[in-house]
Amino acid sequence: MKIGIKKLLSLLIVAACVLTCISGCSGSTTSGGKKYLFCTYNLDDFRTAIMESIKAAAQSEGATLEVYVGEETASDQVNRIKKAKSEGFSALIVNPIDVSTALQLEVAAEGLPIVFVNNKPDDSVLKSNKYIYAGSNETEAGELQVEWAIKKLGNQSSLNVVVLKGEQGYSATIGRTKAIKYSMKDAGINANYVFADYANWSEEVAKEKMKTFLLTGQKFDVVFCNNDSMALGAVKALKEAGIDPADVPVCGVDATKDGCASIANGEMSFTVFQNAKGQGEAAMKAALKLAAGESITSLDGATKNGLYVWVPFEPVDASNVNSYK
Amino acid sequence: MSKREKHRAIKKKTGKIRNKLLIFIMPTVFVLVAILVIITSTLSGRSLKKKSTEQLEASMSTQVDNISSWMNQCLKYFATVKKELEASRPSQAEMQTVLDSFYGFDKNAPEGLYVITAEGRLLKPSESALELSDPISSEAYKQGITRIDMDFGPAYKNAEGKYVITAAGILNDNTSDIKVLAGDVTLDNVTIIVNSGVKMEDASSFLVDKENGTILAHRDDNLVSTTLDTSNSDAMMAGIAKKIDNRDYATTTIAGKMVGVKEIEGTDWILVSYIDENVIFADVRSLVTLLVLIGVIALIIILMITTLVVNRVIAPLTPITGYIKDMASGDFTIDVKTTSNDEIGIMGGQVSEFVGSMRNMIQSIADESDRLKEESIRSDEVSRDMSEASTAQADAMRQLNETVDQLAVAVNDIAENATILANVVSDTKDNSEKAEQSMNETVRISRQGREDMEQLKKAMRDIYDSNEKLVQSIGKVGEASDQITNIVGLIGNISEETNLLSLNASIEAARAGEVGKGFAVVATEIGKLAQTSSESSQNIANLIEDVRNLIENVVEQSDVSAKNIERNTELIGAAVDTFDRIFQNIQLSSNMISDMIKGIEQVNDVATNVAAISEEQAASADEILSTSQNMVEQAESISRSSQEVADSSHELAETSDKLTSYVQQFKV
Repeated sequence: MKIGIKKLLSLLIVAACVLTCISGCSGSTTSGGKKYLFCTYNLDDFRTAIMESIKAAAQSEGATLEVYVGEETASDQVNRIKKAKSEGFSALIVNPIDVSTALQLEVAAEGLPIVFVNNKPDDSVLKSNKYIYAGSNETEAGELQVEWAIKKLGNQSSLNVVVLKGEQGYSATIGRTKAIKYSMKDAGINANYVFADYANWSEEVAKEKMKTFLLTGQKFDVVFCNNDSMALGAVKALKEAGIDPADVPVCGVDATKDGCASIANGEMSFTVFQNAKGQGEAAMKAALKLAAGESITSLDGATKNGLYVWVPFEPVDASNVNSYK
Repeated sequence: MSKREKHRAIKKKTGKIRNKLLIFIMPTVFVLVAILVIITSTLSGRSLKKKSTEQLEASMSTQVDNISSWMNQCLKYFATVKKELEASRPSQAEMQTVLDSFYGFDKNAPEGLYVITAEGRLLKPSESALELSDPISSEAYKQGITRIDMDFGPAYKNAEGKYVITAAGILNDNTSDIKVLAGDVTLDNVTIIVNSGVKMEDASSFLVDKENGTILAHRDDNLVSTTLDTSNSDAMMAGIAKKIDNRDYATTTIAGKMVGVKEIEGTDWILVSYIDENVIFADVRSLVTLLVLIGVIALIIILMITTLVVNRVIAPLTPITGYIKDMASGDFTIDVKTTSNDEIGIMGGQVSEFVGSMRNMIQSIADESDRLKEESIRSDEVSRDMSEASTAQADAMRQLNETVDQLAVAVNDIAENATILANVVSDTKDNSEKAEQSMNETVRISRQGREDMEQLKKAMRDIYDSNEKLVQSIGKVGEASDQITNIVGLIGNISEETNLLSLNASIEAARAGEVGKGFAVVATEIGKLAQTSSESSQNIANLIEDVRNLIENVVEQSDVSAKNIERNTELIGAAVDTFDRIFQNIQLSSNMISDMIKGIEQVNDVATNVAAISEEQAASADEILSTSQNMVEQAESISRSSQEVADSSHELAETSDKLTSYVQQFKV
């Protein structure tokens, strides 16, 4: 019996040693020798900026990165990701073409961890330290808009607010708009939403809707737009109606080239810079962590639940627009 | 040990095995059951909670989707009407017709769709009971002018005190006139979805407007239109209010209830669902109870089965135990009988086979050990012989070594001696040459000596003649001394007679007395003279006698001398002859010495050769010596090895003895 116990003990110890060794080995390996795949598409300015940032981050971390710029179809993206596992990639960074296909992308990855960028899938398809989103928190954009407006307009008890929203159902639309509302409430301002409608990210639609709104003759103190294009549309409508945009602050999001130029011209008042470089870096760092089987929570801006790595937005107005142009 | 005692001992042992098994099994099973219960309850609790959370969230999703789709359905319907109106740009009369035609189409909007113009005119379906005292300040208009796409605004109470929501939007007919199209929808449908659409047993839901905290729908009608705030007396309601204020929309536990909160996108509404956790964990509790029960039953069953099985299983072990005991004491004469065909039966069979093979093995070991013993004895003897032989060889070698050593010494001595001899011979040669010279000198001297000897012979003849003349002279002296002796005799006679006359005169003078005294003196004097004369004559006579004797001696001596001389002469003659012979001999010797010198020269050569050869021999002897030294060492090591072999074979012998004694302990 004694011998049996000793045998058992020694077996356990050996097993423990082996396990420790195995886990130690797997734990000790860092980025060395691992491959990462970044899937993106239709390289506009912003997506290009993210891609360059991811490349730079991979180089400085010594990771091997393959970039796939695919067609703008969900199926192309899924097909590329299907091959990733057999090609020996350790983690994927994906700029999803359609966030509703996120679950399909996860299945195609065959268990490889995925860092989504630029376009946030629904929370329900994200999984702690497995399928995560690295980007900017949309609500922060709305918060920054309100914060700036309050500072600009002084501490008012009530404000007449115009909101031009993006396309209905988009996470950016929902997040940014929601944040405007609760930020006003939190600031103790009785916000009177004299106009709040979807302008589908479009300058033209925004201009038309703004013109219609102006026909109602309602007073308004500030115009919040979910992006710069719509803000530019609003500015145009104001100008056509003979209203100086400088009198009514028009706020956008994205700090696009045109947006920044408009701010510099004293037309648009404010925008929010989405830090593509920061998002790329955060995505690459998160991918390294996930590939090593570690938690992302130690990263800057990571949430405790291990679902997000938030990269802060940066407020842009006339005072600092030159550094974003 | 009697059979009964044996049986009791085995039974005791069986009991011990059973107790041991139980002592190990029961706590283990108990601990395992406890762990199982804890793990199961924890895991099932956790998974149940997770499942419940998922179910609650799924239920909320369904409700939210239902509400959203219902609202979207309404909006779509309204948007269709709006599109129609925007596209056709109707006059007021035409618009009235359109509004009338859609009246009653959507049950959710019982009063139909209506239009309010910027001037405050209300256009509504003819049959609609809608009353608006001031259309411009109505909720419909206020909400409608904030958007162009039809959308719902916040809920409000209508004139009847019922909660309604209005879908409204600016009619974008490309005119500068602002007209708002609106439709009021009751919350009945939403209330039904909230109160009855919960897809989880024992869960409840209610709907809150997050902007003002008003409860829009609740199963408890009393709570509808009350405000949800953090000061609520109900801990759960207060907790929910706080949660909403914090915009914390994760499912959490508040006041023992699992609470899920979900925003309905496109509205300010929040759906809250909750379920008592006791309900969720009721299953877990019953599961734990069941598990504990099963565990206890399992323990009892295991106790029983263990006892039974141990007793059943161990029973056949009893005889086998006896056999094994016998075997342990070395008795392999036993006969194992097996009956069952289980592991123990197989064990019995194996024991039987084991006994058989052991028997054979021990027998063969015994045989082997006997053979081994013989072998070892023989080996011992052989090795001993070998040891002795090798020792003897070593001794012999050592002796040989010594001999060779001595030989070497001797050869060395020979070499030295030969060298010395060569030297000596060389010296001898020198000496011989000197001897030859001396011999030649001797020849010359001996020749001279011979001549001297001749002269000596002549001188001797002269001495002989002189001696003859001496003897004749001495004879004449003898005759003269005889005559002297006669004269002395006469003197002696006269002195004796004088002496007698003086004696008589002294006698006569003594008779004359005083007158005769003078004469007596003369007479005494004459007696004295006569005495002295007698004595002197006697002395002369003695002297003469002596001289005569001496002469006689001289004569004799002269005779002897003559004879000696004669003999000497003869001897000298003989000496001359001898000298001759010596001379001849010396001549001969001289020749011989010459020969000898030649011989010595030959000896010198030979001795030199001998010295060289002896040195070579000495070197060879040294080599032989070292070789034989090695041989001695080897012989000694052989001796030692064979001693070891002897020891080993001795040990082997002892071991085989022991083996034999062990094997003899077994009975086969």
